[in-house]
Amino acid sequence: MKANLCIECKGRRFCGLAECPITKRFYAGLKTKVSKEYMGQSPSVFIGSRNYPSVSGGPLMVGESDNPEHWVRKNYSIDDIVDIRAGTIRGNSQFTGKQPLPDSHLQEIALSKTPLDVEVAFVKPVSFDLRFDGILAPVGLSGYIEKLDVIDNASVPVVVDKITSDTDLKANNAVIELYKSGIDHHYITQLLTSGQLGVNRHIVPTRWGITAVDDTISNALKKEVIKNPQVTGITMLTAFLHANRIICILFPGEFRFEMIEIWNKGSMWGGGMEDTIIADSEGEKRKANYSPISGAYYSARLAVLEYLRSIRRSASVLVVRQVSQDYWAPLGTWVIREASRKAMDSSPISFEDNTAVEREVTELLGSEKWKEYSRLLLDMKTQKKLSDFF
Amino acid sequence: MLKAAINTDIFKESIDVMAAMVTECRMHISPGGFSTRAVDTANVAMVSLELSAGAFSSFDATESDIGLDINKMKNIVAMMEKDDTLSLDLPEGGHKIEMSFSGYKYSIALLDVNTVRKDPNPPTINLPGKVVISGSVLYNSIKAAALVSDKIAFGIDPEKGIFYMEADGDMDHIYYELPKDDLVSFVPAEARSLFSLDYLKDLGRVMSKSDQVEIHIGMDHPVKFAFSIADGKGNVEYLLAPRIEAD
Repeated sequence: MKANLCIECKGRRFCGLAECPITKRFYAGLKTKVSKEYMGQSPSVFIGSRNYPSVSGGPLMVGESDNPEHWVRKNYSIDDIVDIRAGTIRGNSQFTGKQPLPDSHLQEIALSKTPLDVEVAFVKPVSFDLRFDGILAPVGLSGYIEKLDVIDNASVPVVVDKITSDTDLKANNAVIELYKSGIDHHYITQLLTSGQLGVNRHIVPTRWGITAVDDTISNALKKEVIKNPQVTGITMLTAFLHANRIICILFPGEFRFEMIEIWNKGSMWGGGMEDTIIADSEGEKRKANYSPISGAYYSARLAVLEYLRSIRRSASVLVVRQVSQDYWAPLGTWVIREASRKAMDSSPISFEDNTAVEREVTELLGSEKWKEYSRLLLDMKTQKKLSDFF
Repeated sequence: MLKAAINTDIFKESIDVMAAMVTECRMHISPGGFSTRAVDTANVAMVSLELSAGAFSSFDATESDIGLDINKMKNIVAMMEKDDTLSLDLPEGGHKIEMSFSGYKYSIALLDVNTVRKDPNPPTINLPGKVVISGSVLYNSIKAAALVSDKIAFGIDPEKGIFYMEADGDMDHIYYELPKDDLVSFVPAEARSLFSLDYLKDLGRVMSKSDQVEIHIGMDHPVKFAFSIADGKGNVEYLLAPRIEAD
């Protein structure tokens, strides 16, 4: 098997095996909970992407918020989160065609800011169905829904009510409006996923919705940021969250974004022999193709652009994500978004020149292999400027 | 003040020239025509465009500077039909330019000139070697090089009397040479410089429409491409800073 195939695939079975050998490891540790009924909270709606446009999806059922920003605030460990998610039930129904969710109960769950109380009867007792895929937070149990009742009324902020009622507002503009009104990423994704935004409303699989929201907001922020004055010195910002290290370096220069992802040997998708590294980058133009780093790229870029907008500067940015062996369960691309936000919140450390900052990064990472993957570093060394000549 | 009419193809060509490098520019309007010079945000490439009053079917203007959003212009140009007439109307001190074509009347907000980067100084460099080749040959060689690498070398071997282009990838290599007899014009001088194909692909697409492109090169120096548009009534120059070999 190709050494970095697992990193690109993250459980989507690109290898052709019947079961992902890596995700299989997790079934063992799960606690059983078998029941034909559920009474309790449903914080959100999940839509699968397999077999689109004929997809399955429904309410997620767990007794607390499933907004990752909430998990970060509560300081949950990887084990805490996997425990919560292993006990989370995904209720399934089949949906066909490119249309909004036909069930108004489901729309209401997605529309509500707070979890709603539901009563659910399943066709059969719920069963294990844990899938990890790198972008989504994992869910442990699933069952086909026979009957779904929502007991509460949805609590909806005014701005969400206004934007979801506007059928002339295109989905991408709706996402940007919501974001600018202070609605968080998770909530916007819920509205997009359940088909409550845009002109031609339809279901969007959660996996795609997460990246679509990251990308849409980033593209809007990028348009602002590229016009900002450039940063004047080299600075580095770092953070560590759930076994993911984020290092972000800002260089003076036109807006560029480059991400290098390092899966340490022995880490979840990293294989056994040596570190696996992939890189991707973009300039001022809109990014043309989907990143091989997948969702993490878009999540990190969002955090960086949020920061650059807040300091009213532009920069050539290099983000390094290092995933250690301790990242034993992929929790979803939100880890990268929140880790990057945490990095952007840290106090910047200044450096004299490229050599000094490269030395520091190499020390943090424990290897200098990352350097050869960077187009940005190479360009800075080799591309002359017109001002060098006259 | 500006009151002018121009063929839509010429206007489109002029916008494409700018769009290959920048997203906005300061356009100087004078009784002699339009002119602008701009560098990209990375300060790696420069474009200068002069469109004489003769390129317009009618032209009446007083001195003024306007800030043009090139991206927006590109979208509007896409609405224009081929070989149609575009009328431009800008009142004295106006902040909006009126653009009329095929029954449409756009009123387009201009950028505040002060928010657009100032014109760079005109280049003062000496590039001893010069060749003239067709734009399509140039663009094809750029595309060919892009298949194996992200950079290309342009060079002149005065002894052999050739102009050559060469690209090295991690594994692959491509070489293409033109003897002086195949060139429209040839001024030999020892020259070789390396350039980023990222830039050249965008510039090459624009230059591919030109029959004759002057290429001025030196030793590890910028390259200058000069060509005309609008039947010789407009002149374009691109200047691109070189790369140096990585150690």
